[in-house]
Amino acid sequence: MTLFGLALDAMNYTSVLLLVCIGLVVIFGLMQVINLAHGEFFLLGAYTVLVAQGVGIPFWLAVPMAFVAVAIVGLLCDAVILRFIYDRPVDTILATWGLSLAIRQAIVIVFGAQSQQVAAPLTTPVELFGVSYSSYRLVVMLIAVLVALAVFLVLYRTSIGLAARAAMANRQMAQCLGINMRRLDRSTFSVGAGLAGLSGAVMAPLMSVDPQMGMGFVLPAFLSILVGGVGSPVGAIWGSVVIGGSTTLVSAWWTPVIAQIVVFLLAIVTIRFLPSGLSGLRKR
Amino acid sequence: MMARLLPTLAVWAVLAMLPLLLGEWELAMFGQLLIYGIVAISLAFIWGQGGLVSFGQALFFGAGAYAMSLTAKGMLPGIPASPWLGLLFAIAAGAIFGALVGGALFFGKGLRTAYFGIITIAAAVIAERVTTNWRFIGGFNGLLDVPPLPLPGGLDSADPLAGYLLVLGFALLAFLFLLAVERSPYGTVLRGIRCDERRIMSLGFFVPIWKVVALALSGGVAGLAGGLFATQFNFVSPAVIGLALSTEILIWAAVGGKGVLMAAFIGAIVVKYMEGYLSETIGNYWLLVTGIAFIVVVVLFPQGLLGRLFKLPTPYRLRGD
Repeated sequence: MTLFGLALDAMNYTSVLLLVCIGLVVIFGLMQVINLAHGEFFLLGAYTVLVAQGVGIPFWLAVPMAFVAVAIVGLLCDAVILRFIYDRPVDTILATWGLSLAIRQAIVIVFGAQSQQVAAPLTTPVELFGVSYSSYRLVVMLIAVLVALAVFLVLYRTSIGLAARAAMANRQMAQCLGINMRRLDRSTFSVGAGLAGLSGAVMAPLMSVDPQMGMGFVLPAFLSILVGGVGSPVGAIWGSVVIGGSTTLVSAWWTPVIAQIVVFLLAIVTIRFLPSGLSGLRKR
Repeated sequence: MMARLLPTLAVWAVLAMLPLLLGEWELAMFGQLLIYGIVAISLAFIWGQGGLVSFGQALFFGAGAYAMSLTAKGMLPGIPASPWLGLLFAIAAGAIFGALVGGALFFGKGLRTAYFGIITIAAAVIAERVTTNWRFIGGFNGLLDVPPLPLPGGLDSADPLAGYLLVLGFALLAFLFLLAVERSPYGTVLRGIRCDERRIMSLGFFVPIWKVVALALSGGVAGLAGGLFATQFNFVSPAVIGLALSTEILIWAAVGGKGVLMAAFIGAIVVKYMEGYLSETIGNYWLLVTGIAFIVVVVLFPQGLLGRLFKLPTPYRLRGD
């Protein structure tokens, strides 16, 4: 593995992590909901692609389908569970934790616990600066960056985004200014869930699809947004670069197990000393 | 007033009578359920009183279990292979881990309650990874043949009746200990911290140290449960320290009632008993049912299902009239 190939791997992991993080950071920033079921939304996205391929729907159609399907699941979760406990932040952790257990087990019951494969739409490697690299991985990076860009454009260049940022800054004041919080919360949670589903869908061909796959993403994603700073969506970029990059580098150096231990410890230390994350550094 | 005490007294009376009613095999099983009950009250204490949601309670439980196994098997250089010493070390290991985690997180700028949950999840995952890959403490397979606790009269805790009574005694001790802390002035401060940390700070209490002590006490009791687990099950494996067990403990305490120690204790026994009973008949659906039941309890019954039943009267000190 050359240095350049390693850098590509790091960028690949980082970009997918970013895609998972964006949903989390917006949901957390806006609703103060810590969504531990986010990994299971990722999982649902991957299984949507699996089912779609099973009935003969082409991959590139299955990806947007995954977004829509998981967004609907998110809408349902919000309507049935979350809206009753908005004012109890700690209970949202517990409820979404229960939700993640239930979804994971439902998947085990329907699809079985064994891992399954999703065929990648592109299989030919491409030559890039002398390194042969999977072309599908490059496409995944491109999708992740484009989607992240789209989300940031919505957040920073539209009136909906303005309302959302206002709500992040001061929820009560935003409500006084006539922003419909109920609707904003509902759509935020649903879009955030949909984004996790989308990431699961594009990652499905690169991973073995099994009921535990979401767990591997949700924790690094949470650590990323805490390291980046939960207050700002831009922090999610810094966080996923740090976590994604260091994980890839350390696992290339030693083993993935050591990488996980080292990166988690580093993340805990960072969060401990910078409670408002890396984006809090600039403000000081 | 006595009526409020009745359910709690009744439970202990029934538990003490169980050896007369059950066969050896069921008695051994109940002994194991009591161990889960002990770890559930350790979480209920830190969560219900201190407001700290620990997703990593198995960290302290597992630390105790490993300390017990290493000492009892004589794997620590310079320390005699003694199960009773092991139990002491188990309590100490749980308390030290609790103090370390608390000390690392609560001093200085401090940490918001919600982040504490996430960090304890990460800590549980780290602990599981480390134990799985550490050859000295058995790696993935864990440590087998942990000896039972020797008792006077030539008996040891592998005997069903003696083992059950021993665990019951420790459960009662742990319960009375945490109850005494909860009802002492210290417990009042802890509940104050849960409600409004800043107000307690401005009343002159140095909040971080109080939280660290609470976590150490809870960790010590969880370590005791872990030590008893190792000796009663005769083995430890990375499964006792990881996220899966932490989640189970959390569910027991939440379903029973986090605010009342006895409710969490019974919650653990009932949920774990039902798991043994139902996972045979409904198989995979058991976890689905637990997950959904957990959501329902969190949303609709924040005080748990048994909290009201086992709530004890307020201490004399705090009664207004």
